[in-house]
Amino acid sequence: MRLDDYIEELEPDEEAQRRRLAKEKSYEITDHLEEFERNFERALSGDSLVGSTAPSIFVGRSNYPDIPVGVLSPVGDENAAEEYVTDGNWYQEGYDIPDVLQRRTGLLNSNKRANVDSPSIASRLTPNVHDAWDGFVGVQREVAIADRPVDLEIGLDDTPDLGLDAGTDVATPRGPRANARNAELRENPYVPKPIKKTLEDDDWQAQGAMTYLYRRGFDVYDINSILSAGALGETDQRRLVPTRWSITAVDDTVGQFLRGRIRNAPSIDEVQVWANEYMGNRYWVILAPGNWEFELVEMKAPGSIWNPDPEGDTWMASASEGYDGRSSYVEETAGAYYAARLAALEHLESIGRQAKCLVLREVSDDYWAPVGVWQVRESVRNAFEDTYGEAETFHDAVREVATQLPISHARLRRKSELAAGLQSNLSAFSARE
Amino acid sequence: MFKAIVSAETLTSALDSISVLVDECKIHLEEDGLEIRAVDPANVGMVDLSLDASAFESYEADGGLIGVDLSRLEDIASMAESGQLVQLELDEETRKLQIQIEGLEYTLALIDPDSIRQEPDIPDLDLPAEVVLEGKDVNRSVKAADMVSDHIALGVDEGEEYFYVDAEGDTDDVHLELTEADLIDLQVGPAHSLFSLDYLKDMNKAIPSDTEVTLHLGEEFPVKIYFGFAEGQGQVTYMLAPRIQSD
Repeated sequence: MRLDDYIEELEPDEEAQRRRLAKEKSYEITDHLEEFERNFERALSGDSLVGSTAPSIFVGRSNYPDIPVGVLSPVGDENAAEEYVTDGNWYQEGYDIPDVLQRRTGLLNSNKRANVDSPSIASRLTPNVHDAWDGFVGVQREVAIADRPVDLEIGLDDTPDLGLDAGTDVATPRGPRANARNAELRENPYVPKPIKKTLEDDDWQAQGAMTYLYRRGFDVYDINSILSAGALGETDQRRLVPTRWSITAVDDTVGQFLRGRIRNAPSIDEVQVWANEYMGNRYWVILAPGNWEFELVEMKAPGSIWNPDPEGDTWMASASEGYDGRSSYVEETAGAYYAARLAALEHLESIGRQAKCLVLREVSDDYWAPVGVWQVRESVRNAFEDTYGEAETFHDAVREVATQLPISHARLRRKSELAAGLQSNLSAFSARE
Repeated sequence: MFKAIVSAETLTSALDSISVLVDECKIHLEEDGLEIRAVDPANVGMVDLSLDASAFESYEADGGLIGVDLSRLEDIASMAESGQLVQLELDEETRKLQIQIEGLEYTLALIDPDSIRQEPDIPDLDLPAEVVLEGKDVNRSVKAADMVSDHIALGVDEGEEYFYVDAEGDTDDVHLELTEADLIDLQVGPAHSLFSLDYLKDMNKAIPSDTEVTLHLGEEFPVKIYFGFAEGQGQVTYMLAPRIQSD
């Protein structure tokens, strides 16, 4: 399809719905929190939460290396525990921002401080029940590696803080938190074989083990949880990894693996523009012939998250890499960079091609609460689902897409390394002899 | 057969100019000197180096080929203090390089040259503009551009007859003009190309500030950067592919 036809067909028909959402957003969350509070009262027996089930874990990063380690459990909605796990399914189900916030705020984070090098890491799968400290971390790790939500009994030290500070402009409405005294398993969790293998091999570097799991069909969400619980890697390197860091580490590691797979692949042979829109974020992915090169450019509308001044200018950030990847840490765009890169590489690897890839992310003011980097990953992954627009050249595509952006083409060229110029290689010039 | 004695500075300069592009390289041990050609894995930057036999205190070779891990060899060379000599000798039996620095002996395992990326053919480019300037002006240009951007445009204004450097960043710009009076030499021709600063910064590290540097430029064409080291007995030519702005 020609790029201009493609763009025409993209015209959003969801405008009205988006406006409605923006209006209703805060009320829905407040109602939801009240309901949660009632459920919680019912589930609490003495100071223990009985019959609880935990689908996932959360490792905080405050006060590193003595960090809060938590098990997350939906209180009063145990039967639907799977739905509380952040993964690609949220996109497939079409969750909107309030859906996500309801799940996030519906998870009680029962946590306890632990040292990242906690001895229970070394003793691995045998939580020491005589030592409540080790025991809690042990249970938490069992939850992380299990393939489904695990039934638990959690002893709480105090009444949970219900986190009713929801709806502030910038902070993600967080779920309720409680200090845990201990946790006990109520069942023997099932651990998939490949995870057992990475768990038991204490001589296997984390990167290799992560890649192995990915190749065995585990998505980055599963791997993230395992890495976070310190359940893979060489023994003396294993430690608890804050969730936020492990998400990026997994996206980066798997991305590097995929980049290696397409390193010698032939290039795509036309310029393609793919688009997707989700949760007030619009994505354009421009693929062009040539050696691998990648860039994410973010444009955040005034009044959106991270750019709250409604009268301000569009806020821009970008990061890029060449054929050999980056030699330095991504300073702008952070985790979104690795998430978008992973998604683009997955597509290229699946078709056995390499390409130059520019991802443009436009965040509108409908994106009123940050839902997490999964949204970037899944939006870009699914951008490749339908059809694409074709353009004659990469710079033609950029010019045309720029007419749909909140910034000028000139400003894009100043900010974007790829829009400014695509890296050629020397053989292109020898051939001209 | 290969046996040579060379000053640590000369050896280090030669190795540094290669290692900015590749980790391993093949070294041709020719009768009249060393030759190295290498291209980075992306095929974006290329280096062609020769170090004449006269740059050595003593030099004997008969046309062999060895493969080396550059960072290992650089580490060893860095053990030498300024003014010290490094003795290199190839042990044909063990295929190892014996290195001696003032009593310090190091045996370096070599790499099978066949396992190293193939050496590039040097493209024969027709580049219409030529700029000769001092190494320190290259350094200054690259440094200034790096403050605002990740890429740099090099070009020649044919009408006004000057060489220019442009860098456009997010908000700030850098522009530098060098007229014939500021340059050692200028041959005017149509030239404007954009280059990645990542590469140019690395190449710039190898350029001595007090040397003469010759740039050959074209329109959206690779740049050829030529300079000498070791009192003119060593020659380096870099080639760098441009970032394409137009199509």
